[in-house]
Amino acid sequence: MNLEIEKKKIFKKGAEASLYYGKWFNKDVIFKYRISKKYRLDIIDKKIRNSRTLNEARALIKIKNYGINVPCVYEIDPEESIITMDYIPGEKLKDLISILDIQKLEDYFKKVGIFIGILHQNGHIHGDITTSNILITPNKEVFLIDFGLHDYSDNIEDKSVDIHLLKRVLISSHGDYYKICFKAFLEGYRDCYNESSIEECESIILNVDVIETRGRYIKKEERL
Amino acid sequence: MVARLLSQLLEIPLVGVNHCIAHIEIGRQMCKIDDPLTLYVSGGNTIVSAFESERYQIFGETLDLAIGNMIDSFAREADIPHPGGPKIEKLARDSSKYLELPYTVKGMDLSFSGLYTAAKRLLKSKKFGIEYNLNDIAYSLQETAFAMLTEVTERALAHTGKKEVLLTGGVAANKKLQEMINYISDEHNARFEVVPLRYAGDNGVMIAWTAILKYLSKGEDTIEDTIIKPKERMDNIEVPWRN
Ligand SMILES: Nc1ncnc2c1ncn2[C@@H]1O[C@H](COP(=O)(O)OP(=O)(O)O)[C@@H](O)[C@H]1O
Ligand SMILES: [Mg+2]
Repeated sequence: MNLEIEKKKIFKKGAEASLYYGKWFNKDVIFKYRISKKYRLDIIDKKIRNSRTLNEARALIKIKNYGINVPCVYEIDPEESIITMDYIPGEKLKDLISILDIQKLEDYFKKVGIFIGILHQNGHIHGDITTSNILITPNKEVFLIDFGLHDYSDNIEDKSVDIHLLKRVLISSHGDYYKICFKAFLEGYRDCYNESSIEECESIILNVDVIETRGRYIKKEERL
Repeated sequence: MVARLLSQLLEIPLVGVNHCIAHIEIGRQMCKIDDPLTLYVSGGNTIVSAFESERYQIFGETLDLAIGNMIDSFAREADIPHPGGPKIEKLARDSSKYLELPYTVKGMDLSFSGLYTAAKRLLKSKKFGIEYNLNDIAYSLQETAFAMLTEVTERALAHTGKKEVLLTGGVAANKKLQEMINYISDEHNARFEVVPLRYAGDNGVMIAWTAILKYLSKGEDTIEDTIIKPKERMDNIEVPWRN
């Protein structure tokens, strides 16, 4: 291991990854390790960890170009499933929702809407938009993280699913704030689209409701 | 229909019950479990749910096919009589040859349609019966689908911090799935329970039991209240007996 790289303490342990805080040539970084899961076959495990690591790193590098705040990537080790990226100081939006004042909350969600709108217009699907994957820095900047489930798509359906994931986490985990947050999100999201594309934007948003009813009970006559 | 008529004729109170909630309630009762994260897997549903903010919230679900329906349909393609699930489980036990199949998780949601199509393609391929057999497809199908279910259940478990996990629905009978969900429950120091099979599949007892809970806390419904709403979201329904 390079002497300029120093791995310090374990910093977060998520469902999928363990994060270490450390230094990489004087920069504050985190090392994101995707951990092996014993419940699944080795071959599936390897495939998932490897592809998500590559997916995430490539997405972060690409997306930086659109002026969206995401951590900068320094190193990728797909074999060991490690990404070295900028450490973003701050807190998860999840932990702030109930303590922020409404105005601030709306500002943040509007910003998230704008970011996701830009991603979607450029054919990027985040894949896991939750309030744990949005960070707020001490100087009030919004960062998107956790692109392991990122995908490329121009389909309305895929974009609707992306939005549906955020909507659902708002309902299930932040019910009291769901209406305010989602409304602000949609406002930002719509703002990204221009006259020629606003129709598509509305179709995407309408389709979110369709998705919601689909996964529910599937009647016998409607099954395969 | 029948219930409404009987209730009128016999002057018995009428209580409407949500099907998914009834699955969870009978599970809580039979397994003596208090506040679980539930994975409900059947022919018509694939849902990860837990009780939060006075409702049974949905944390993850299928975006297309239900897991049970997917497995049964595949079995039908392979000329296995309905219900194919138990037979697929048996076939899978005699293989350890994994054939690559698509794995699709979106956030805490799942999609099984790509997996289904790919498994069917393996069945129709010229290589079938030469390079691999039905056991191998059954094995690969289960390993892939159940790894997906286990992953989203683990995510929901980490997210909600629940200390109990309940597995229910017809597919809960599958030993392989039980083993995998048990594994992640252990890792998160959560107690794991499978609903006894008689009460895991659709049954009348679960409806009656949930009706009792509801009746005792809130009284009877009016006839209008009991109109069946198949698209009603489970997280819209009040659960007065848990508050
Ligand atoms: N670049 C970063 N800087 C600071 N904190 C981070 C960074 N990336 C992730 N985190 C923190 O670690 C947690 C888990 O990381 P994440 O990339 O979302 O992995 P997982 O797939 O396990 O959710 C995040 O919710 C966040 O709190
Ligand atoms: Mg995350």
